[in-house]
Amino acid sequence: MAAIETDGLTKDYAVGFWRPRPYRALDGVTLRVEANEVFGFLGPNGAGKTTTLKLLMQLIYPTAGRISILGRPAGDPEVRRRVGFLPEAPYFYDYLTAEELLTYFAGLFGIRNPERRRRVGDLLDRLGIGGERRLPMRKFSKGMLQRVGLAQALINDPEIVFLDEPMSGLDPIGRRDVCALILSLRDRGCTVFFSSHILSDAETLCSRVGILAGGKMVATGLLSEMLAFKVAGWELVVAGIDAAALGMLGAVVRGVAPMADGRCTVDLAPDCEPERVIAAVHDRGGRLVSLNPMRLTLEDVFVAQVKASQAAAPAGRFMPEG
Amino acid sequence: MSADAERLSDRPDRRQIGVALVASALLVAAALGVQAVRETHYRIKSVDATLLYVTSGASLNRLALSYHALLADVYWIRAIQHYGDTRLSTSQTKQYSALYPLLDLATSLDPRFTLAYRFGAMFLAEPFPAGAGRVDLAIALLNKGLAAEPAKWQYAQDAGFVYYWWLQDYKQAAMWFDKASRIEGAPWWLRSLAATTLVQGGDRRSSKVLWMQLYETAESDWVRTNARLRLAQLDALDEIDQLAGQVARYQQIVGRFPTDWEALRTAGLLNAIPSDPSGAPYLLDATQPGGVTIARSSKLYPLPPQFVRKAGPPS
Amino acid sequence: MARVILLVAYHVFKESVRDKVLYNLVLFATLMISASYLVGQLTAGQDIKIIKDLGLAASAVFGLFIAVFIGVGLVWKEVDRRSVYNVLVKPLRRHHFIVGKFIGLALTLLVNLAVMATAVYLVLAVMAWTEPGLANAAIVDAPVVDPNLLKAFLLIYVQLLVVTALALFFSTFSSPMLSAALTFGLYVVGHFNADLAHFENVVKSRAAARLAGALYYLLPNLAPFDVKAAVVHGQAVPAGYVLLTCGYGLLYAAAVLGLAMLVFARRDFK
Repeated sequence: MAAIETDGLTKDYAVGFWRPRPYRALDGVTLRVEANEVFGFLGPNGAGKTTTLKLLMQLIYPTAGRISILGRPAGDPEVRRRVGFLPEAPYFYDYLTAEELLTYFAGLFGIRNPERRRRVGDLLDRLGIGGERRLPMRKFSKGMLQRVGLAQALINDPEIVFLDEPMSGLDPIGRRDVCALILSLRDRGCTVFFSSHILSDAETLCSRVGILAGGKMVATGLLSEMLAFKVAGWELVVAGIDAAALGMLGAVVRGVAPMADGRCTVDLAPDCEPERVIAAVHDRGGRLVSLNPMRLTLEDVFVAQVKASQAAAPAGRFMPEG
Repeated sequence: MSADAERLSDRPDRRQIGVALVASALLVAAALGVQAVRETHYRIKSVDATLLYVTSGASLNRLALSYHALLADVYWIRAIQHYGDTRLSTSQTKQYSALYPLLDLATSLDPRFTLAYRFGAMFLAEPFPAGAGRVDLAIALLNKGLAAEPAKWQYAQDAGFVYYWWLQDYKQAAMWFDKASRIEGAPWWLRSLAATTLVQGGDRRSSKVLWMQLYETAESDWVRTNARLRLAQLDALDEIDQLAGQVARYQQIVGRFPTDWEALRTAGLLNAIPSDPSGAPYLLDATQPGGVTIARSSKLYPLPPQFVRKAGPPS
Repeated sequence: MARVILLVAYHVFKESVRDKVLYNLVLFATLMISASYLVGQLTAGQDIKIIKDLGLAASAVFGLFIAVFIGVGLVWKEVDRRSVYNVLVKPLRRHHFIVGKFIGLALTLLVNLAVMATAVYLVLAVMAWTEPGLANAAIVDAPVVDPNLLKAFLLIYVQLLVVTALALFFSTFSSPMLSAALTFGLYVVGHFNADLAHFENVVKSRAAARLAGALYYLLPNLAPFDVKAAVVHGQAVPAGYVLLTCGYGLLYAAAVLGLAMLVFARRDFK
């Protein structure tokens, strides 16, 4: 059983008061997340990531399509008991302290004392706001609110955690902490579904990604498959041989760039056999310094897919009238 | 996807919306039911003279905050309700005590509230128990109207009618009709009305003329209805006189008072059971002058006593 | 289910306490005490009536402002600031949230009104104690410390529950300014509701009269909750009347809450 599954999820909004035009925020989004995976939900701003998350949490209702979380429909109280949610740039209650908020939410789950007190204390400490537990939240910074948000998402020890832009508002140390947190959740058997537009985080954390652009899912799959062992080329650094001689090595050499202190960087085509080139360099009196494969980064995939989708739908997401 | 994911979402579908709306409607209906029960069992009279919190027109004017006309309407509605409730009430101690204060408030808030003056005076002047029986208050109200709008000859005319009809003070009536006739825009016949009243005040025929004029020139339904009522009453009086004549003839022939209308019919003095212009049958009553009277249940009851003949056939 | 509703309610109460709403009671107490002192300078007999009138009227007005101004923000504020997202994804149904909010404000109003009633009674008791002559039956209609005042307070409370339900209903979909205007408007119309039934006496159009008649049934009938004048004058307010009027109010409030629950359950939180 998949942890999260959607099938043809679509959301239309009516925009405008007098003659509402339907605006398709999401168009047929289909994705699947297995248990204990870390799923990165990526896309440019306005793609519909937050819309998808809200649909998964039943804060908004779908126009069409199906959602299944832990094998049950979204919004099922049993599901709500077993998941956690961190909204984007969360806001809580000015008049409560962090401790009181977590106590409140723990109460909503039916967690009683002394277990409740223990969990609240543990989470506050774990997320680094143990010292501010009695401070009213109106005095909290953005980063502190983000931590409270994470704490309340975890108060019920959920099986799936949904995070909308979990790194937003955090400084580099904070981000590192959150990455560590996500990995520890994964290690504990949790499924993590997070949306982000920071690709480097996704590269480090995710096992599976989905790329959303213009309301459509343009790519989804295991990270390793998407990046594949699609080597885009090789970067060879040699010494003791001049650029001209290197240019003679054949068609596989796409480019040569001399560096300081006598070295050269050679850009080799992906279909070459690097061993042969190295042997050829040796024959001409050169020396190998380093050899690195150039893979597609997630950013490359991302940009390519997004640009392709924009080309395919220049008219935008307003539906034709009538 | 498992079978549990059948429903598209948790959002209330059409059926649930329907159920919720029906439930709300039922709750409102239940609320209204409870209210109805309360209204039948308990009548905390919302308009009790002793509980009228603001009795001064002047202070109410200040409180009204530029919504005078609307508030005047509200008080007018309450005046009518008070009149209607009291009139229909079977209580021994009923009173129209709040009627004048309410009318006074309504006209203080809106000094040009013609209906309140005219109809109000009508309610006030009508004798108890059908009305408040306070002719003095009726005149006071009409005077107030004239003070606010001296060009309203109708108020003077109404005052004249009050003196004419309820007090039989023909001198005062004629004076008011005269005053009315001098106001710019008054109809030509008011002048002759003044003269006629002075001379022939108690005459049924001239009264009919008066009411006919009023009926034809009436500005609103109520005034017209009232005039029609008076005309019907006068017609009834004429019919009673005629029937009294038949009764007298029966007494001459048979030697005693008739037991019922059948007796008169058998004697060939009548064709059918006589009924008054409102449709209620006349009654035979030896205690009444002439032996014929109107039914208590008739809409025309009571007939204006000043026009009932003491005895004898019509002239 | 009851647990989550009560938790939501508790937090509404907590918020109003921490937002210093209950400080209005300080203003009220000051008003009552200074009035009782000033009124002592007036001629005898009327003091009691004035204190009672003032106490009841001020309670109703303060209560009304609390019911409206907190009520219209109950749902709107949470939606506007998006703090509602965090609560709705927890295991509670959307209508539990609405009921909880209502009970929370009802609790705040109860505390407020209870304190005000106590203050009024205290002032009256002090007046009765310092001037025994005031209780002279010849000049007052009702005992100084009159238990019947509680009937008036109870009816004020139930009337405020109706207002709260209306404010909460508007709060589920409309901004605080508009909601407050609509709620106050319905409050005013509710007092003249009985007159709507007899509207045909002032308008010629039958359609308008029929519309007014329909509105008479649909709109809340708030005038019967006002027994202030009767109680102050010592007129009998039967227990049955109080019970039935409260019944009407609670059923009507429940109907409005039902609509609020429906609107809230259906909406998207964009």
